[in-house]
Amino acid sequence: MSGLGKFWRELQAHPRLSRFFLGEAPSKTAIHLNHRRIFIVPTRQGFGFLLLIVVLLLIGFVYNNNLTYLLAFLLIGLVIVTILHTFRSLSGLLLTLGSAKPVFVGERANLPLYIENPSQVKRYHLEVSLEEQVFVGVEAMSVQQVNVYSTTLQRGWHQCGTIRLTSRFPLGLFRAWSLLRFACPVLVYPKPAVSGLAFPEQASGEGQQGQARRGGVEDFYGLLEYRAGDAIKHIHWKSYAKAQGLFTKHYSHFQASALTLDYAYTPGYGVEERVSQLCRWVMDAEACGRPYSLSLPGLTLPPGCGERHYASCLQALALF
Amino acid sequence: MSNSKQAELASAQVFSMLLGAVGLTVLPHAWNLSWDIFLGFFVLWSWRCIGVWRPRYLPSKALLFAVTLLSLGFLYSQHQGVFGRDAGTRIFVIALGLKLLEIKTIRDVQLTVNFAFIIAATLFLYQQSLLMAAYIIVVCLSLLMTLNAIHSKITDVMLLARCVGVMLLQALPVCIALFVLFPRLEAPRWAFLNERTLTKSGLSDTLEPGSITDLGLSDELVFRVKFTGSRPPPDELYWRGPVFSHTDGKHWTPSLSNKARRHPDDLRFAGNSYNYTLLLEPQSKPWVFALDMPASLAPNLVMNADYQLITTVNPEQRAEYALRSYPHYNTGVLPPIEAQENLALPQTISPEIKNLVGELAGFTQPPAVFIQAVLRYFREQPFYYTLSPPLMVEHPIDTFLFQTRTGFCSHYATAFVYLLRVAKIPARVVSGYQGGKLNAIGEFLEIRQADAHAWAEVWLAGQGWVRFDPTAAVAPERIQQGVNIDMQLASGTVNFSLFDAAAQHGVLAQWYQTLRQGWQNVDYSWQRWVINYNTANQASFLQGLGMQDMATALRWLLISIALCTFSIFVFLMRRPVRVPDRALRHYQRFLRQLARHNLVCATGETASAFAQRVGEQLPACRAEVEQITQLYLQCRYGKQVEVAQLQTLAKLAAGFKLKA
Repeated sequence: MSGLGKFWRELQAHPRLSRFFLGEAPSKTAIHLNHRRIFIVPTRQGFGFLLLIVVLLLIGFVYNNNLTYLLAFLLIGLVIVTILHTFRSLSGLLLTLGSAKPVFVGERANLPLYIENPSQVKRYHLEVSLEEQVFVGVEAMSVQQVNVYSTTLQRGWHQCGTIRLTSRFPLGLFRAWSLLRFACPVLVYPKPAVSGLAFPEQASGEGQQGQARRGGVEDFYGLLEYRAGDAIKHIHWKSYAKAQGLFTKHYSHFQASALTLDYAYTPGYGVEERVSQLCRWVMDAEACGRPYSLSLPGLTLPPGCGERHYASCLQALALF
Repeated sequence: MSNSKQAELASAQVFSMLLGAVGLTVLPHAWNLSWDIFLGFFVLWSWRCIGVWRPRYLPSKALLFAVTLLSLGFLYSQHQGVFGRDAGTRIFVIALGLKLLEIKTIRDVQLTVNFAFIIAATLFLYQQSLLMAAYIIVVCLSLLMTLNAIHSKITDVMLLARCVGVMLLQALPVCIALFVLFPRLEAPRWAFLNERTLTKSGLSDTLEPGSITDLGLSDELVFRVKFTGSRPPPDELYWRGPVFSHTDGKHWTPSLSNKARRHPDDLRFAGNSYNYTLLLEPQSKPWVFALDMPASLAPNLVMNADYQLITTVNPEQRAEYALRSYPHYNTGVLPPIEAQENLALPQTISPEIKNLVGELAGFTQPPAVFIQAVLRYFREQPFYYTLSPPLMVEHPIDTFLFQTRTGFCSHYATAFVYLLRVAKIPARVVSGYQGGKLNAIGEFLEIRQADAHAWAEVWLAGQGWVRFDPTAAVAPERIQQGVNIDMQLASGTVNFSLFDAAAQHGVLAQWYQTLRQGWQNVDYSWQRWVINYNTANQASFLQGLGMQDMATALRWLLISIALCTFSIFVFLMRRPVRVPDRALRHYQRFLRQLARHNLVCATGETASAFAQRVGEQLPACRAEVEQITQLYLQCRYGKQVEVAQLQTLAKLAAGFKLKA
């Protein structure tokens, strides 16, 4: 049994056959569907239709009936024409995979697949399948976006696997399909730990000061001109509305109470648990607007706050 | 992966299309199936139709099982078995009806469509007319539309019809190639598949003129003949059928010995010959009506001792024979047994007949003189030709000759033969068809039941059997012009077509006549080239194309299928001309128009500069030239081109004329 499985894997990896089982090598650019990429086989219904033709030929033979023969021949011609039409329903399409937003482990990455139809012929009822099937039609000379979802299991760069584009148009006698692999990885952040553990204030000297102030009222420190990376929720929209420019509200404790999130001082067994905990802290700190720095073995990100800082911290955690 | 797909439920639209298509498929079986089967199917069909909109009325599993058992019992009660055309069709139709009730998923729909295609094929076993073929095309279209609706999710019926119609058109070349080249094997005749067909009206194997008071005539087609080369004149168009040598005075039957005898080999032909193909409609008897006297025999034909052609294959199938006949022939000597048979008369011969034969010098003069005397007697005495003679029960010959003196061909022929036999001249009655109507468009003769005829054959020393037609002596028009069947059927009286029907009824009738002949010609070609394209026809046709054996034909079949497929592929994958190129094409047309007036765009000159130059030289056209150039530049180099712009450009460029 295992021998058969091994044989199967070897067959799939065979340099000449891998195209059939796995698709072409992952592509960074748009994929153009041509005869190299489109495969076509009869469906179950197609085999049924062939059986029907044999039955008609038999009736024609037994009863010496030329019109029954003619009907069978018409259906043979139709089968041949159907192969061409089924091929054409995929041929010439241009496929591009858009970049997906990073997700946390366990979430499903939402990948936008753009199907461009540069021809004058409408494509009907294409089946796009990765983990589930979506049906879509593409008008002539237009682009259609389809969202495919891919479940992530591990932090880091996630390859979304092979997307299969299938068409049974026009009569369902044949199935044409193309296997699409894109070199378009999705960044997967670590799974955040269950919240509950307090911020590691004791980790540095400044932490004490921050702790003292934490109970008090957050003092408004003043408006400073907006710098890239400032949190959106601290933008002073009133002055922006008055067209005075973009300012950010700053609070006095911000400067003082920057968190230091250090891998070395993070509790937890093993790498994953610690990374999860760090991830949770980064999320929490970002949520309440406290600046934070992140230090991992071999990498230290300076204290900061805002979308960009948040993203680079999570990326660092994802790829650590 | 496909389990979830295949369990997909069919939508209401797919259902209604399927039910429509299936209904269309079974409908013509109203003429072929017994009414109860047909009704049974349409009850199931209607049930399913209601179920599309009111699913709760559909039968439950238990009820469906009961209905199935009921249907099986019903089929069994008809005692038709399972083999053969009728029984097979019956079972398929009922099975289709039951299948309809349990359709739920897409897969069921696909199975049902396949079923329906088989039902469509069974329609051809009953009728093979051109109209039926056209109807089946419609059925195919609707069945395929159902499949297409599933796999394209198109809801617009017209669009579906177009999509499938285009595919059927593209399938046609391969279909024709297969039809011509696919080897036709002669199927053995399975005894259990043979059906009893309706007895066709036609010539009978006994002749009893006295018992008929009204000769039923039908315009049913018997056979069609196409001559290659010259056509014989009407008075030579005698199509030979059964020969009656034996009589008891009332009934005439074929010779009792003709089955035992071989036909004599010393049949000699003289003069010119006629070559023709005879397309015989299905017959109940194995008789092939060849022109007197057939010389070369087609395969599957034998000639009996009475020179009548008999087919060795099933006469209930339409058949085609290539034949050659000579109007002049000599059958040679008369074997003694035949002489005895053709002189035999019932015991009692009335004195009136003996007197008549004596008067006509039957006992004294040579046969040729006596025959002429008898014919003259028919012509000069008040004999009349009619299709509704009085009944002559006792002594029909006497009654006819001396009392009623009215009758049709059989009366004259039997009386003639009787008189000759009294004079000891061997004679017999031949039945068959005479004449035929020429289809001017297809140049073939159509012989119908109403052309049935009977004449006499007399054996003369040195000439053999010679044909005499006493009816011609009474009604020569019958032989010269043939019977006007339309008139005869309408009025019930004899009407020889002395005048063209068209001349009597004006232009409309003439059109009708032409139209009818045109249609009959199409039908003839259909029967000849499509329905009857069998092993023999195919072999000769392919030899005409230079394909000597089946292997060559098969090779050509593969080549032509590959060629057809490739051309369709190229056609499907063609790239549409892009908008800028189309714009350029229109602009070049405009330039050619200008070049006629020596206004040529110089090398390096831009389109706008050229337009300005033209505008200066021809102020009358300035606005138009500028508009065309503007549109061209927009279409060729613009980012967003609308179709309307290109269309305007095309219209302007095509309509551009220089105004001085």
